[in-house]
Amino acid sequence: MSFESKLNKGKFVVTAEISPPKGTDTGDLLKDASMIKDFADAINVTDNQRAIMRMSPVAACSILESKGFETIMHLTCRDRNRLALQSELLGAYALGIKNILVMSGDHPVKGDHEGAKPVYDMDSVQLLGMVQKLNSGFDFSGNRLDGSTDFCAGAVTNIELNEIALMKLEKKISQGVRFIQTQAVFDIEKFSVFLDKIKDTGISKSWIIAGIIPLKSEKSALFLNKNIAGIKVPENIIDRMKNARDPEMKGMEIAAGLIKELHGMCGGVHIMPIGNHEKTKNILEMAGII
Amino acid sequence: MIISSQKKFKELLRALKERNIFIIGCGKCATKLHVGGEPEVLEMRKKLTKAGKNIVGWMVMSSACNISSWDDVLAKNPEIGKSEALLVMSCGGGVSLISSLSERQVYPALDTESLGGVRLEDTMKELCGMCGECTVWEFGGICPVSQCPKGLLNGPCGGAMEGKCEVDERTCAWDEIYERQKKLGKLEYLGIVQEPKNHSKKKRRQAV
Repeated sequence: MSFESKLNKGKFVVTAEISPPKGTDTGDLLKDASMIKDFADAINVTDNQRAIMRMSPVAACSILESKGFETIMHLTCRDRNRLALQSELLGAYALGIKNILVMSGDHPVKGDHEGAKPVYDMDSVQLLGMVQKLNSGFDFSGNRLDGSTDFCAGAVTNIELNEIALMKLEKKISQGVRFIQTQAVFDIEKFSVFLDKIKDTGISKSWIIAGIIPLKSEKSALFLNKNIAGIKVPENIIDRMKNARDPEMKGMEIAAGLIKELHGMCGGVHIMPIGNHEKTKNILEMAGII
Repeated sequence: MIISSQKKFKELLRALKERNIFIIGCGKCATKLHVGGEPEVLEMRKKLTKAGKNIVGWMVMSSACNISSWDDVLAKNPEIGKSEALLVMSCGGGVSLISSLSERQVYPALDTESLGGVRLEDTMKELCGMCGECTVWEFGGICPVSQCPKGLLNGPCGGAMEGKCEVDERTCAWDEIYERQKKLGKLEYLGIVQEPKNHSKKKRRQAV
């Protein structure tokens, strides 16, 4: 069953994030994917994440699809204008990629090619609208396509939304979004507030996939709070990490606890490990998901 | 107001191969911003002389981007004829215009940054993105094309932390747009799904 069908049928899905290699060696990519093969419903493949140049997600997704994995291809607005975005999407679809996750993308000054031209010809709302057009058999300019796409398109969001951020999320939802993946959740109370806030947007709770970052140390928690927008690891979790005899195990316990609580609240979880997926299986077992 | 800043002197000196130089300042934006008015031209003359250049003369035009007769300029400033190169302390508009009129080697002393303004003594940068299809009232008069580093038209990205833009210390333009529209009672504009800009309106070498 496809990722989309599972979402639509209300299965609690598990997605897992992998970054393409910085280079041509796909060994680690395939090794990481093999560790989650048995339980991941789809693998998210990032697109020059944090503006750090890596292999194209189309290529990395295609390689994974050829090995039998279902992928969710990230597509940012940072590096491509509307022509390149569309040709990338047509190519991806022809290669068997069915799911995409759309976002603005971190600004080039945040990454390892600081002087790169920031493109942003479109924003995430406009890109989602363009995907709808491709799905209906037309390009952005209204020309008929010889073979249309049928992408299942998703969007991203932070959990803590101010008014204007909520308005933008509503616009994304209005552009045919079929699932939403959130920034990492560390506070179930805040996640509940988020679900409440988006209640009237017309999106079903079962389309929301909550982000999970298993912490490795107190330091990793502090790093996330300082450097990653939209993440707030609360004090009590930082303290638990600080006082833990085995911080990595504590981080796994915390992640498993969150997943247990999220089960039933939303449509699934999205695991974004620091490093590779070596512990992902354990965490999901501890949470009783697999 | 065109916002520009002075190039680093070392960088300027590297480019400036010729010895006999005539300096041109600009009486408009560059004067107001203290980067190419009379005091700056005189300071430049001093520094270049110290660096071994021969400054054959200098002038401050009333406006380097608005020259009705180059012959008049030459008549009033015959030293230009003795120069091997002109150093222009204006925005890129003035530099280009003087290059085409003078048919001489022209060097810019400034880097042109954006279209902005001056409020009291505060220099305000990037007030307009010059997109060629202004709809700034939909954003409370705050241009998202230039004020948001990503030029996002449909709302903020997820990159701001505690109101600060992910790019640098500036506040998120979208928070300001929201606050302004709220104050004006025009929040409904922010619900509009904005189409991408038509960049064909910005194609190069457009006829006037």
